Order: sequence, then C-alpha cells, then structure tokens
Amino acid sequence: MALRSVSRRLGSRILNHRSFVASLHSHATSFGFQEVKEEEKSKLVGNVFTNVASSYDIMNDVMSGGLHRLWKERLVGKLSPFAGMKHLDVAGGTGDVAFRIYDAVYSVKRRALQKVDEVSLEETQIYVCDINPNMLNVGKQRAADRGLRDNKSLVWVEGDAEALSFDDNSMDGYTIAFGIRNVTHIEKALAEAYRVLKRGGRFLCLELSHVEIPVFKNLYDLYSFQVIPNLGELIAGDRESYQYLVESVRRFPPQERFASMIADAGFEKVEYENLVGGVVAIHSAIKL
Amino acid sequence: MYRTAAKRLLAGGGFTTTRLLRFPKLRSTIIPSSYTSGLCTSSMGGNTELPMGNQSVNPNQSGPTVSSSTGTGEGQRRHESRKPRAEFQEEQARVLSASLRHVPRLGWTEEAMMAGSRDVGVSPSIVGSFSRKEAALVEFFMDECLQLLMDRIDSGLDLQNLIPSERIAKLIRIRLEMQVPYMSKWPQALSIQAHPLNVPTSFKQRAMLVDEIWHAVGDGASDLDWYVKRTILGGVYSTTEIYMLTDDSLEHRDTWAFLDDRVKDAFDLKKSIQEAKYFAEDIGAGVGKSVQGLMNGVMQTMSRRSGGSAF
Repeated sequence: MALRSVSRRLGSRILNHRSFVASLHSHATSFGFQEVKEEEKSKLVGNVFTNVASSYDIMNDVMSGGLHRLWKERLVGKLSPFAGMKHLDVAGGTGDVAFRIYDAVYSVKRRALQKVDEVSLEETQIYVCDINPNMLNVGKQRAADRGLRDNKSLVWVEGDAEALSFDDNSMDGYTIAFGIRNVTHIEKALAEAYRVLKRGGRFLCLELSHVEIPVFKNLYDLYSFQVIPNLGELIAGDRESYQYLVESVRRFPPQERFASMIADAGFEKVEYENLVGGVVAIHSAIKL
Repeated sequence: MYRTAAKRLLAGGGFTTTRLLRFPKLRSTIIPSSYTSGLCTSSMGGNTELPMGNQSVNPNQSGPTVSSSTGTGEGQRRHESRKPRAEFQEEQARVLSASLRHVPRLGWTEEAMMAGSRDVGVSPSIVGSFSRKEAALVEFFMDECLQLLMDRIDSGLDLQNLIPSERIAKLIRIRLEMQVPYMSKWPQALSIQAHPLNVPTSFKQRAMLVDEIWHAVGDGASDLDWYVKRTILGGVYSTTEIYMLTDDSLEHRDTWAFLDDRVKDAFDLKKSIQEAKYFAEDIGAGVGKSVQGLMNGVMQTMSRRSGGSAF
C-alpha cells in the first residue's frame, strides 16, 4: 500500500515536472504578465520598490484594509520567537515583521511569565535583509521613530535573497513576508534559506496566493485588477508598480506547487495555511 | 482484543503519528502503510520520500529506544544517493524525551522543551512547530508511561497469586509511581490535560490506560459491564492521582492505603450493582406474575360474560 501511494505520487510528480519546469522558467522571465529577460527582472523589480518605498506601508493598509497587520501577527505567532534567537527576515525592508518579533521577544509581560534570563535576551539578533536600500532606509527611519535606532538586536543588512551573506547553519528562524514573489529564482532563495538555517530552524513564508473558491475568486480578481492599480495611482502616484504587483501574484505558483518546491529544497514538515480563503498563505517548514 | 483496539486507536489519524513510534517491537509490522498515509494527512512535501533507515535514541537518555519503521527495499534503492533524513516525528520524540529531564525544574513549559532541544543539538525554534506545545510534552510523557507499564506487564509481573482487586491496586500503584519524580509539577500537567483543546487526547490516553489495566487483570467481559468497569476504574485512578498530589507521607504510604480502600469500594460497588440487578429482576418477576394473574382473571371474566361465544 505504501508502494502504491509512493509510485502514484512519483508518477504525478513526473507528469507535473515538465509543466513545473516550464512554469519555473516562466517565473524567472516574467515581470507580471510581461515577458522579460532573466537578467533584467531584478532590475525592474528594483525600480518598482524604489518607487513605492515611501508609500509602501500606507498602500499595504489601504489595499488590504488593515488586514496585513493581522497576517503578520499570525506569522510571528507561528514562529514563536524566543530570547536569544538569531532570526533573519528577508525582503523585510520596512521592518514590519522584524519589529513584531522584537516586541514579542522583549515584551515585559512575557518576560515576567517565562523566567527569561537577561543574558540570553541580550543575545537576540534580528537581521533585516533587503535588496533595496530605499526600503531599508524607510525601515531604519521607523526604528529610529520607535527609539530603536542604536539597538544592537536589530541589524539592517543590504543583500540578495538568492545569495545571502550569512554563514551556514547560523539562523534559528527565517521569514520572508510578501517578498518571495519578487525573487527571480525562487529555488535559489529557498536553497539559501536552507543553507543559513540551523538544524531545527524554521522557515516561514507569508505570501499572496491563489484563491479557488468560486464566487470569491471572481470578486477578488475584480478587486485586484480594477481597484488596486487605481489606488496605486491615487495614493502612490504609480499605477504600473501596482499593476506589476497584482500580475505577479497571479504568476506565482499556487500553494501546493510552492509547498513541493520548499520540500525539494530539503525542508521537512512542509505545511501551509490559507488565510482569507487563499488570498494569503503562510507556508512553514523545518530544516532537519 | 483490547490490545488490537489499542493498536487501532494508535494507528488511526495523522495526529497520532507521534505515537506510532512509541511501540516499535511488535507494532512495527503495522507501521509502514498507516505511517505514510498518516503522514500524508498531516503534512506533505518532505514526507513524500519514505523516510527509512533505523535510528535509535542516544543511549544515555531516559525513555525507551525509538526506532523508525524498517525500510522496504524499494525505499532504500531510491535513496541510496542521499543520506537518511531525520524524520520530524523522531526529532520531536527525541526533543520531548530530553525535555522531561528539565520538567521538575522548569515545569511542563516551552522553556523545558527548549532546554531539551538544546540538549539534543537542535535549534529551540523547533518547539514553535509542535502542535499545542506544552500538551505535546505531557502527552508524550503519558504515552511513555503507558508503554513502560505495558513492558512491565509483559516482562512477567507476578499477578497470578493475587485476587483481582489486589492486581488492580498493584498496577495502578506501578503506574502512579512513574509520576513521582514530576510530582511537584503534576498539577500543571493535569491542568494542561483539562484544557478544552487537549481533552480529546488526554481522554483517549486515559481510556487506553484503563483498558490496558483491565486487560492485564484478565477481565474478558464484553457486555455493558465493559463501560461500567472502565468508568469505575477511571474514577479510582483519577481520585488516587489527585490524592497523591497532596500526600506527604513517607513513600506515599497514605496514597496506597487510599488506593486500596477505593478499589475495595469499587468491588463492593460492583457487588451491590449486581445485587441491585437481581433485586430488580425479582421484583420485576413478582410484579410480572401478579400482572399476569390479573390479565388471566380479566380474560376469564370476559369470556364467561360473553357466554361461550366463538373464542
């Protein structure tokens, strides 16, 4: 029985493989619904984020009706941060996830309940890595606004998700929120994530994903293609970037496909959770 | 009959896959098919390859040896080029086993589990992925105790010379003595088990425990008595467990005296239920007789009245 289930899965994987490979190549050469050269993609994405950096947070609030905060809370809740952890938040430019992790670790209430010793608290390191310096600057500014400008626990690093500058087996946690969609080669980013994580380390990815529920899907498509680019033009003054955003969501692999990519990178216990019917999905996995 | 029921309970459901590993010896034959299907329901991806290869726990850890299911030739041929991957359930079992050492000091908490994970050499992040974290630790401990109890019974515990009530008392005593090292933190474990999210699992574990004890005592009844017996024994076990929490006597002597009394009461209760049943039957019979007599009388009267018509 095990043999049958394994061979069935292997067979379907071989069948999927060809279209799978094709779609991967297509992700690397797709910029939304446009076709672009691979080398160009990261430059184009870079331009998008340079343009939107200053209004990124406001647009997030408007587009998701403030829901993105709840999604990030859920992501950090799933992570269960602990004092002394070394965490890497990739594509975390403006620092949303990083600040939440910081608060979770340093929250006074939690420290009172859980007998945390101050030494391990000091050892906590949260690295925020982003390829785009403009996004990082916005993040650093927000840190300064919170009084965390010189805090040693938050470290802002400019870097590429496909070629991280961190050591092997050095991170307890790796998160990437709304970032993996913009990476040119998803498998490379996943392989890098696998490399930098310690044994037992967790990988968590929050990303806009595919909705399958019939009527809701149509409403969501309508909202994405009619409302969002207009909001982008109105608030950020940049229709094209937000057009790119909604198109790139459609091009990204669906939940199951992405989960199997994560498994291929070597992770164990790959799971995903749909939020809002699939508008957003949190994929989680462990390196063993 | 009860052992197979226990096996079926354990094998069913992806949630219980952690416990498949608790019964390596004679259960290994049932593991392969339900193992992979169980894994499919709870997770995917990394488990599409059959995780074969035997692994045993570090010998200087407490707890029984854990070994994964023996690989089929198929699985091994496909994985010859890769090193055997540690399965998540195995890692979880190892971490939880190591965490038990820290429980008397840190309680049934995430801290204990993080300390355990450091002992095993795994990042404490892994604790974040255990479902219902503290409950995972408590349930692991309960399973382990059940396994130890079953091992003690199998390895020739001398029960032949004892009457049933003494056998029950002895088995409950053996089981409760396993909790003695954690007695200071046991109230916390009980409150974790009573949490609504955790009640289904803790109830199932206690049901299995009670089942196992009755099986060892040698009771083969399978009628309505079955439920009554298990409920009563469950009650005896729980009350003794709670009594033990506040017992300061030397070697818990008071608890064992309490236990003996409760078991005696239970058997008396059994006798009194039996007596009540007979009594009810008698009354029923008596009433039945008189009702019947009445009906006969009525029939005769009616037939006489109608004066020999065609009846």
